[in-house]
Amino acid sequence: MNCDWVQQNVSLYLYNELADDARHELEQHIQRCKACAAELAAQQEFQAQMNALVVEEPSASFLASARMRLQEALESAEQHRAWYHRFVFDPTAWLRQVRFSPALAAVLLLVGFGSGLGTMYSALGSKAPHPASQNTIQEASIGGITSIEHKPNSNDVKIQYQRIVPDSVEGSISDPQIQEMLTFAARNNFNNSGVRLDSVDLLTSKPDDPRVREALTYALRFDSNPGVRLKALDGLKDYVKQDIRVRNAVLDALLNDSNLGVRAGALKALEPVRADTSVRMALQQLAKSDPSEYIRTESDRELASMPAID
Amino acid sequence: MGQAQSRMNDTELIREAQRGNHAAFEELVRQYDGAVLRLAYHLTRSEQDAQDIYQEAFLKAYRNINNFRFECSFYTWIYRIVTNLCLDLLRKRQVRKEDSGIAVDSEGGTYDLMDQVADQRSGASPERDLMRRELGARIAKALTKLTPRERMVFEMKHYQGLKLRTIGEILNTTEETAKNTLFRGTQKLRAALRDMK
Ligand SMILES: [Zn+2]
Repeated sequence: MNCDWVQQNVSLYLYNELADDARHELEQHIQRCKACAAELAAQQEFQAQMNALVVEEPSASFLASARMRLQEALESAEQHRAWYHRFVFDPTAWLRQVRFSPALAAVLLLVGFGSGLGTMYSALGSKAPHPASQNTIQEASIGGITSIEHKPNSNDVKIQYQRIVPDSVEGSISDPQIQEMLTFAARNNFNNSGVRLDSVDLLTSKPDDPRVREALTYALRFDSNPGVRLKALDGLKDYVKQDIRVRNAVLDALLNDSNLGVRAGALKALEPVRADTSVRMALQQLAKSDPSEYIRTESDRELASMPAID
Repeated sequence: MGQAQSRMNDTELIREAQRGNHAAFEELVRQYDGAVLRLAYHLTRSEQDAQDIYQEAFLKAYRNINNFRFECSFYTWIYRIVTNLCLDLLRKRQVRKEDSGIAVDSEGGTYDLMDQVADQRSGASPERDLMRRELGARIAKALTKLTPRERMVFEMKHYQGLKLRTIGEILNTTEETAKNTLFRGTQKLRAALRDMK
């Protein structure tokens, strides 16, 4: 080990980036070489000096505001993705989902390609070309996808599938297949909020299944009907403590939901975890500047009753 | 973290996010966004720029999550996106600096940060504050002598404490190249600080 090598590597030595044997040799060399020892000292001083430019952890409010801004942007990015990518540009991803769910509704998608936000999709029942009705979900299931065809000179895709059970399904709420169907209905019965409400309502009786919680979380985040969102919140509220994803969804509902009732419900649901950093940060922000007086006062109250250690 | 019962690892979260599960993507964000913001802020010395980089990085990750092929960790992947955005910004700043003929970064960010550093340490003697502030400004100035890439490597090694191997991976290069870049940057910084004395 010569002086050149040592002087090129003292910085790595200080950063603890040398292998054990090289490190040992370097230490030996420093003992007997004044020039290299001086270089080590100089490098040490340099590194200490550089630390005057302190690295700070971003403050809670800085991080919170970055998150909120991102959240907002994701919501609009999401719409493109959820409707386009899953149903339009990437039918295979959707089909994968269908295939993993043996008892999904018979849904034939005729999807317009690339015709902007107003892209048409239709969920067709057995034959009738109208939106999925209350019975569609229970009338049939898909046995397998046999082909996907992009019709030439058109914007349409044709998906061929085999129907195996043109029948209704009955079963206990504990039956995984029934649950699967309910989960699907909660998410996908786009035009009928009544069906979504019913499915969400039934699902709330099984929230200890993580998949059910996921469906409820999805409904809380994305359902267009505040009644469905409230119902979903109701089913989730006991899980804010143990399931961080539930907590995040409820927190987001508190911050972003357009409906005051849902926000108030979310605020209440988060009370048991109000000492949690992200929740506390949100409460502080809301207590200060939320447009709703109710939210301001209630946030303030939850903050005031903050336990010392949770 | 760790209190969640159904805690998923990154791979599962990414798979879920690729299937369109938004909660999963958000959880990925929450795992890394503190570190991302810290890096961007320390590097750009501007809250606004740091927030823009944060925003763009995660949106980009979101839009491209389906292209993630598990060839590297999500950590490396997101850092790759972030460092590219930071490098773009540093390059733009450098051009502006050359155009305007001003030697020192004129964003004002430098001094803002120095003020904050001093404020947070109030309680210490004012002279010490002043010294620290002056030293900080000098260091910030010395850092502007580095090329964007040297600056990036120095930032990740010295300030963020990443391993050189990881830095190489993030910058799509070898550990050896990262080492050489670090060495060059260090020499430049030491010379710049010496000259300023
Ligand atoms: Zn020597």
